[in-house]
Amino acid sequence: MSEGDMAVIKPEMMKSYIWLQTADGSIQQVEQEVAMFCPMICQENIQKGMGSSKNHAISLPERVNTAMLSLIIDYCRFHQVPGRSNKECKAFDEKYIRMDTKKLCELTSAADSLQLKPLVDLTSRALARIIEGKTPEEIREIFHLPDDLTEEEKLEPLKNSTDDPRIRLLNRLYARKRRELQEREKLKNAELEEERSDDRSVDDLLSFINGEIGDSKGIKTSKNKKKNRRRKDQQKNTCLYEANEIHEESSNLKFACPSDEVNKFRASPSLTLKLQDLNDDSLEDMVEFDDGDIDDEIDPALKEKIDREVEDFARRLNSDWPQRIQEILALDMLEDIQGGNGSYKQNIPTSANGWNNFDQMLTGF
Amino acid sequence: MLKMANSFPEEVLEHVFSFIQSDSDRNSISMVCKSWYEIERWCRRRIFIGNCYAVSPRMMIRRFPDIRSIELKGKPHFADFNLVPEGWGGYVHPWIAAMADAYPWLEEIKLKRMVVTDETLELIAKSFKNFKLLVLSSCEGFSTEGLAAIAANCRNLRELDLHESDVEDLSGHWLSHFPDTYTSLVSLNIACLGSEFSFSSLERLVGRCPNLKSLRLNRAVPLDRLANLLHRAPQLVELGTGAYSAELRPDLFSNLAGSLSGCKELESLSGFWDVVPAYLPAIYSICPGLTSLNLSYATIPSPDLIKLVSQCPNLQRLWVLDYIEDVGLDALAVSCKDLRELRVFPSDPFVVEPNVSLTEQGLISVSEGCPKLQSVLYFCRQMSNDALITIARNQPNFTCFRLCIIEPRTPDYLTLEPLDVGFGAIVEHCKDLRRLSVSGLLTDRAFEYIGTHGKKLEMLSLAFAGDSDLGLHHVLSGCENLRKLEIRDCPFGDKALLANAAKLETMRSLWMSSCSVSYGACKLLGQKLPRLNVEVIDERGHPESRPESCPVEKLYIYRSVAGPRFDMPGFVWTMDEDSAVRVT
Repeated sequence: MSEGDMAVIKPEMMKSYIWLQTADGSIQQVEQEVAMFCPMICQENIQKGMGSSKNHAISLPERVNTAMLSLIIDYCRFHQVPGRSNKECKAFDEKYIRMDTKKLCELTSAADSLQLKPLVDLTSRALARIIEGKTPEEIREIFHLPDDLTEEEKLEPLKNSTDDPRIRLLNRLYARKRRELQEREKLKNAELEEERSDDRSVDDLLSFINGEIGDSKGIKTSKNKKKNRRRKDQQKNTCLYEANEIHEESSNLKFACPSDEVNKFRASPSLTLKLQDLNDDSLEDMVEFDDGDIDDEIDPALKEKIDREVEDFARRLNSDWPQRIQEILALDMLEDIQGGNGSYKQNIPTSANGWNNFDQMLTGF
Repeated sequence: MLKMANSFPEEVLEHVFSFIQSDSDRNSISMVCKSWYEIERWCRRRIFIGNCYAVSPRMMIRRFPDIRSIELKGKPHFADFNLVPEGWGGYVHPWIAAMADAYPWLEEIKLKRMVVTDETLELIAKSFKNFKLLVLSSCEGFSTEGLAAIAANCRNLRELDLHESDVEDLSGHWLSHFPDTYTSLVSLNIACLGSEFSFSSLERLVGRCPNLKSLRLNRAVPLDRLANLLHRAPQLVELGTGAYSAELRPDLFSNLAGSLSGCKELESLSGFWDVVPAYLPAIYSICPGLTSLNLSYATIPSPDLIKLVSQCPNLQRLWVLDYIEDVGLDALAVSCKDLRELRVFPSDPFVVEPNVSLTEQGLISVSEGCPKLQSVLYFCRQMSNDALITIARNQPNFTCFRLCIIEPRTPDYLTLEPLDVGFGAIVEHCKDLRRLSVSGLLTDRAFEYIGTHGKKLEMLSLAFAGDSDLGLHHVLSGCENLRKLEIRDCPFGDKALLANAAKLETMRSLWMSSCSVSYGACKLLGQKLPRLNVEVIDERGHPESRPESCPVEKLYIYRSVAGPRFDMPGFVWTMDEDSAVRVT
């Protein structure tokens, strides 16, 4: 502070004020003890001598506009009073923090730029509580965030080291099924949208041949040790779980599965979709759909035969389905990929949300 | 529109994330958008991997550069019942080796059902300077030599827990490897070890660690040494005694009682091998403070058990042998209104005739009397549909219900009917049920109920149940949140599995042993579903040497982004695209 300034200040030392200028230009004065609660303001004042007059108002960071400053001052005004009990502080904080999410974000940001840690913690915790328990879509909605994750980032990049036509067929089937279900969902929303063509490339996600062969080699096998009959066997396990119990049942348990029938099984690719996720771009991104790529070597006529046989198979199996499943069929949610007439009687596991997300591998979902 | 991403600096977002720790929430965060994905992966410190073969160490490290705490699980749950042959896998060494380079600041390692070697333990001991916590739950493959390395080198170790691991116990000397300067022990669980320790070593260790909160001794620690230990650690919260027997001596008793009453913070007791009931009153003074009591090794007759539990009004968890009998459970229902978890283990499961008077009545009493009961594991010899219906109505809050009727396929003892309706009532009333084990005589109808009502079911264990593939189909198609399914000795074959193949991709794992799934079906699954590892476990030799329709011994299917593993023993084969497919 210059000597000239000192002369101006002294008579007003009854109640000191700090002058602050917000990003949107307005200048105001705030009681010194309140403003100094903010480390950044404190620093500007003490180290650089700013804030002692209107002309030397402390320029607040960009993230602090008038509205935010007002909120922050409210916080500081309460908390800078010494001797407040924990209970009082908590009550104030709980009431204080009630604001819409947008404001909360702004406030967090503003408090951070002023280095006001207690307020940053308070607002951050509040934001964390908002985020907890929500799906990614919901979070995106709340915070207006773009849905820009590519498949590479959702799933660890896996190299498809073979050009296996079966894998490409599977990819195509997945893509087509997802597209169909997506379309149906869009129709349900009474908006007909143009089908988006997916020209983004995919990193061959459905193969997991990632070339990491050497990881587990050279592992020492466990040492020979005497096998103690562990006490826990007796406790958690009884005759029920003894390995040497032979299960004998009549021969109707033996399902004849001639190898050809088994070979013709085709997996339905739709089943990992949760219906709510049909609009989830991420799933769509994950599969390559390239109409030019029709050089698969599987005979389409054989495919037709396979599909019909599997449906037959499933139909025989499902002769006395519970009501609920009949309802699903009635809604005709599933159509045969080849555009056939029958419904492929499968249940859509609705808990899966892009199961092939790396994270779900981790949590052993 | 305010783009939050623009104005929100990364460090602030990271700070917000630091208050979000659950795995599922972290997953959600990382899937929101590119910038959140990046921020989140750099600040994730804790990771849980439910199946060590679902991802590879390298993938984890590439994605998360700075992990401080890892939890890994290896073998499937049925390994606890000796159904997984030795040598199947679950080796943790590759993980530790990779992390030794990538995560020098790793602090915590928790392993369950994994193979850990002494080399692994030595590597842990020297690689992580700030290592604090090691939990080896039901692990095997290591000896006390490895433990010596941990004790000697991990200066900041707080917790060492060998929970039910199979340790090659060479000597108790390893405990002396904790240097005299080491004082940071907070929790020590060595209950599974057999050999004796040098008691002076143990006493000194306990004495110089002022933060010691949990101490679970092994059987070899005699009762007369317990008092001394407790005098040095009155701040204990959890105590596992050694053998709870000694000749009847009043001085010993009063010493013991005195030292126990000095432990004002004690909340949890376990151990109690070889109990001499006359010494039980020594713990009466701390009973009012007990929330957890593990008497699963304690042969205490019912009247003494009743006296004991009657003094524990704050008990939340009780693990006990069926010596408690119905009368004991009646007393429990009267005294312990805060009970949340009950496990009743069989004292002699190999005898067909009941050796104790424990029936379905005990469980009914507890379900009536204990309004907060959520988790039950109950071994008994008889059950009825009526009993199950009553239990279900009494206690719709069950989250975990495991009933083990000792003799397989036992029907309702009153009506001789299957127990379908009874279990149906359980799944219908208990809407939050997450874990279920069934037993007794069950037809496909039981599975229909489970599939219809078990919407929150995450783990299901089946044995000697069902009539046909329809049973399995009900479960796979109905239980939307199913993560783990383990089946043994059930008449399930190919059809349900193939028809619900894609469901398998949404689960962590499926175990089937002594069922009727053919080799051909396994091959097909492996081929068509590249994201699944389909492991055929068969100790009769390569399945190719038998017809394709021949059922495999054991089948373990789990989803993975890491591809087939390469550490399999000779009796395990992974079915994949390379499996030869015979086309007729």
